[in-house]
This record gives sequence, structure tokens and C-alpha cells, in this order.
Amino acid sequence: MRRSVFTAGLGAAFLLGLGALGAGQTSFVASAQQKLETTEVKIDNFTFGPAALTVPVGTIVTWINKDDIPHTVVSTDDSKTLKSKVLDTDEKFSFTFSKAGTYPYFCSIHPKMTGKVIVQ
Amino acid sequence: MHPFDIKTVLLAKHAQHVVLIHFPIALFIIGVLFDFLGQWKKQRLLAAAAYYNLLVAAIATLPVVVTGILAWQWELEGQKLKGILLMHLVMGCASSVLICMVWFIHMRTRRNKEDVLPGYRLPIEALAVVIVALTGHLGGFLSGVNGPG
Repeated sequence: MRRSVFTAGLGAAFLLGLGALGAGQTSFVASAQQKLETTEVKIDNFTFGPAALTVPVGTIVTWINKDDIPHTVVSTDDSKTLKSKVLDTDEKFSFTFSKAGTYPYFCSIHPKMTGKVIVQ
Repeated sequence: MHPFDIKTVLLAKHAQHVVLIHFPIALFIIGVLFDFLGQWKKQRLLAAAAYYNLLVAAIATLPVVVTGILAWQWELEGQKLKGILLMHLVMGCASSVLICMVWFIHMRTRRNKEDVLPGYRLPIEALAVVIVALTGHLGGFLSGVNGPG
């Protein structure tokens, strides 16, 4: 009887330990996700705002179209790093900048609309 | 950018459509105006002016349609259109068909050496003017003529 109580106690302790480990991993993942920075660029009245954005490596930049007409976000250079679909009103496009550098872009429907993201 | 920079105009992959579109719009609307005036005043000269305006308008729609479709394929890489862009494409094609149809009605009458143009052309012309105006309005909206700068 005493032996079975002891075994049950050990089992319970093991399960509790596993649970705590799992919770620890979850919180570790959550904190890793929190470390990813996110920034928003608003497209409004035929302009990207801010037109020039400086962000650290790993930042997720989201463009949101607040204009009444469609726009795109496309790299100016030939790399075509950025290439969104046509964004209608309130549609979004996100990109994670994993390398340092300067990323100039424009709206391919309205080429006078330009912007750049500087990743440091 | 200089507004009369020829290199920019010729090399910008979608700029030609925006430039060329003004020719068929202007020629067609003036052609219809001459036709209505010719009908009202019973003047052959106005009817002839209408015919030549409509002829050149119909010819001018071809490069406009081609450059519009190329702009879609080049700048938007042929992606599926929706909203205003789709409406502009559909109405643009409808406008081109109507302009060519109106010219064809005039051409057929002249070819058959008939003196009187068919009366049903007038509502078709009026409808075509409305569709062309709406398409142009959407195009202006898309090109951002009301935007800053």
C-alpha cells in the first residue's frame, strides 16, 4: 500500500514536472515571438507614410492601403524583393526583412509613389 | 522628373496607355457631337466631319487597348484583377467595341452610298459616350490625377 502511494506520488511529480517544462517552452516561444518587431507603413493619399523607414534586422513591415484606390508595393531595383499583389482599400502586405540593407520600393500603378526601408 | 521627358514617357512601361487614351476619347466625343449636329442641321459637311473623327477614333482604340493590356501584364504581371481595375478593364473593352461599332455603322452607310444614316445609331452613340466617360473617369481615378503632386 505504502509502495503504491509512493509510486503514485512519483508519477504525479513526474507529470507535474513535464507540465512545467511544457509551460516553460511555451513561454520561451512566446517571448521569442515577442522579440520580432513589427512596423506599419500606411498608404494614404498617394503616399507611403513614412516614406523612409529605418528598422532592425528581422522586423516585419506591414503596408496597409488606406486609400480609396488600389496600390502595390514593388522593389524599385531588379531584385524584386518586395512584390505585393494589388492592394485594395484596407488590404495589407507584410514582409520580414532578414538582411541588412536599403530596400527602395514604389507603387507600380503610380510610379511617382516611392519609399524605402533601411534595415540595420 | 520633367513633365516632357521623352525618355521617361517612352520607357515607362505603362505611361503610353495614359497618354494615348486621350486621342480616341476626344475624337469619339467630337465625332458624336458632329453627328448629332449634322442630324439636327441636316448638313453633309458635319456628317463627313463626324465620319472622319469616328474613323480615327476607332483606329486609335487599337494601340490604347494593346498598351492597356500590356500595362496590366508588365506592371501587375497579369495578376487577377478586381474592384476598380477590373471595372476599368471591362468598361474599356466595352468602350472600344462601341466606338468601333459606331464607326462601322457610319462606314457601312457610306459604302452602300445611302443618304440617311440609321436612326438607331444615335442611342448607341449616346450610350457609348456615357461608357467612355465612365471608363475615363475610372482611369483618371486610377492614375491619380487627383492625387498630390
